[in-house]
Amino acid sequence: MENLLSLLSGFQVALAPENIGVCMLGAILGLIVGAMPGIGSLAGCALLLPLTYKFNPTTAIIMLGALYYSNMYGGSFSAILLNIPGDSPAITTALDGYPMAKKGRPGQALMAANLASFIGGTIGILILTLTASGLATLGLKFGYAEMTIILLIAMTSISWLIGENPIKGIVITMLGILVASIGMDTLSGAPRYEFGNMYLLGGIPFTPFIIGCVGFAQVIKLINEREADAEKRASDDSKTKLSIKESMLTGHDFKRILPPILRSGVMGTFVGVLPGSGATTGSMVGYAMQKKFKSEEPMGTGAIEGIAASEAANNAAAAGAFAPLLALGIPGSGTGAVLLGGLMMWGLNPGPLLFDTNPDFCWGLISSMYVANIFTLIVAILVIPFLIKILSVPVKYMIPIITCVCIVGAYSTSNSMYGVIIMFISGIVGYLLDKNGFPTAPMLLAFVLAPMLEQNMRKAFIASQGSLRIFTDSALKLVLLAVFLVLILTPTVKSILRKIKAKKAQN
Amino acid sequence: MKKLMALTLALLMVLSLAACGGSSGGSSSQSSGDAETGEFVPTKTVTWICTSSAGGGSDIFSRKISEIMTNDGMVNGQTIVVSNETDGAGEVGRNKVATMKAGDADYTLLTFNSGDLMPMVTNTKNRAANFRILAIMAVDKQLLFSCPSSESKTDYAKNGGDQNDFAAAIEAAQNGTFVVIGGSKGDDITTYQKLLAELGLTESQMGYITYDSTSDAITAALGGNVDFVISKPAAASQYVESGDLNAVLALANERYTGNLADAPTLSEIGDYENVEVPVWRGVAAPAAMSDAAVAFWSDALGKVSASDAWHTEYLEKNQLLDEYKDTAAATEYVTAYEADYMASNGLS
Repeated sequence: MENLLSLLSGFQVALAPENIGVCMLGAILGLIVGAMPGIGSLAGCALLLPLTYKFNPTTAIIMLGALYYSNMYGGSFSAILLNIPGDSPAITTALDGYPMAKKGRPGQALMAANLASFIGGTIGILILTLTASGLATLGLKFGYAEMTIILLIAMTSISWLIGENPIKGIVITMLGILVASIGMDTLSGAPRYEFGNMYLLGGIPFTPFIIGCVGFAQVIKLINEREADAEKRASDDSKTKLSIKESMLTGHDFKRILPPILRSGVMGTFVGVLPGSGATTGSMVGYAMQKKFKSEEPMGTGAIEGIAASEAANNAAAAGAFAPLLALGIPGSGTGAVLLGGLMMWGLNPGPLLFDTNPDFCWGLISSMYVANIFTLIVAILVIPFLIKILSVPVKYMIPIITCVCIVGAYSTSNSMYGVIIMFISGIVGYLLDKNGFPTAPMLLAFVLAPMLEQNMRKAFIASQGSLRIFTDSALKLVLLAVFLVLILTPTVKSILRKIKAKKAQN
Repeated sequence: MKKLMALTLALLMVLSLAACGGSSGGSSSQSSGDAETGEFVPTKTVTWICTSSAGGGSDIFSRKISEIMTNDGMVNGQTIVVSNETDGAGEVGRNKVATMKAGDADYTLLTFNSGDLMPMVTNTKNRAANFRILAIMAVDKQLLFSCPSSESKTDYAKNGGDQNDFAAAIEAAQNGTFVVIGGSKGDDITTYQKLLAELGLTESQMGYITYDSTSDAITAALGGNVDFVISKPAAASQYVESGDLNAVLALANERYTGNLADAPTLSEIGDYENVEVPVWRGVAAPAAMSDAAVAFWSDALGKVSASDAWHTEYLEKNQLLDEYKDTAAATEYVTAYEADYMASNGLS
């Protein structure tokens, strides 16, 4: 009850005209930034942060919060329409979104993504409102051993994510881990695989690597398909035109996406709360979980459930990540860390006392998330007919445009050409891999998760002085371990059973 | 296939262009200042390179100083642009400053802290002597904190160890119970090593877990993943106030004041010498900066450190000690610090 009263007073703050204004501005900027390949919420917030130094802190965080938030919507647009995830949480959205758009249902795919984002986000915000500080403390219960097992579950699920060939999935996952281990070892500070190169000392920067692998690799692919596309256009006069009405989901579609949205919404919120994991981990876990449930079409071939699962999870995780940030001053993700820096810059002391010392700020932010969520949904739905037009832009115009956006995005991460070079190289590598049947998504996800896995595992071993006992000494850990074992053994057991069946059928 | 080859070739050309562009940027020499009197006065935009990302401690430090300089009219109406250059964990930005040519060198400043110096001398050939050290602006010290109310996850806590009593933890470590300390990279590791040496313990008796930042380390302490956490007062202050963290040991020669006054120094809890590793924040410049410009900037930084805004809006807020050293004193101080650090880490 107390929380609800505080929320109401928060709405007074959030609905002040200037705050509604910046909230909308943040939401629109977020949609744009999110839709641009590679420039995700991290870069978006980091770029805008210095601009907000002169703002009143509440106004500033409302704007950045709205931006972070609507980013999760925007990221799915380019993922679905162009197979270029706008930001890393949308990688899993592209897995089903793009095939679904190719099947001639781009409008419905976008609509499903928007609805899933909205409902998933609302679940996240509701949980945040009701439990706020309690949720953050729950996140603290997870020690290194628990995190290690969760990450193992996530990492082993991804190699099976896509493609018919699990071996290739594993190879590509390993490659992601290798690339991620370039740079300074975070525990001992010793340089690894830097080959005497000063740039590599800082590791491979995340954003340019992702822009290259997904964005620029797609450009090279488009270059190859250019002529085929022109022929297709010549023979096929009917321009793609879609109204909002035609993009509406059927009742059947809605029934298909609702269960994954609800599951992913709750799951995503929880993943967002865990220290160090943000929306990317959220969407991945959501998608991997959906794989374990029945979907009408196989996942990866344009199943609407896949879009719903990952979009709902990433929006929920984005909301969940605010819980540790506000309640404990702990950033739940990279973007959270930037926001935390912002809090200090604006003169607030993020920490366990923030809710007591600055209730206006905290509750203003939370209630502004409701406003931003509704507002973003409206804009995102209205924009669908225009977005669909992207599909009718001839490929020869798309190529230079996307290339430009890729270069700008890669440059903006550290304001240097190093990012651009990394982007080009990973683009070429990504294209070659894809051409040879190696899906790049597992590599990117391994790239995100491997450093977290390594750190947690090594910290666990330092704490236990090398003993494996630390992974089995509590009920929670044993349950997680059991889940892990079931997950990795299921495909093997299934394929053995299938083989036995096939043999029987032959006889 | 032909198309692919052509594409690759084109890309290679782009890449090489890009590589050249990166290194040859802006070395146009421009004679600056008042040539007649030999004094330096800035006549164009100043670039302040900060090798940490926006929003972090070093960034706030850089922006605050440049804000005060601009507001108080110290830079002849020129603007100071803070540029966050984080490539290669900051080494690329530092190297760029170290190797900058005369001319631009007069208009380039670099945030340079003890936490920057340590990885630099460990991982690269750059040394403090490759820079002009303009000033030291502030010094910080550390404390050990603990979170006794956290869930017991460590050996020491599970065996009923008192996380409020560091003397008991030392004894437990000597008797074979593993005690684990958390902290950030750089400064905190050095402090931990000094502490360990003073106590005569080994890493397998009292271990250390490195975190990316102090706030991560504090998170770990709140979650009960470490017994003690090394932190500067500012980062832990909120948690001490809320009762989540307790200050258990001052890593300084004297006790702190205020809500940290209860923490004893090391010499108070046993037959040990105090451990104090100063964490300093300074400003450096390219080695090629002219003497006139060095004098100008060192003087300007002195004015900043004497300003009210600096005291109320920066030092007090971050609970830092005011310790301005001008270029001569700072150079001597940093050189000695570097020599000491390299000697204790076996670097040459």
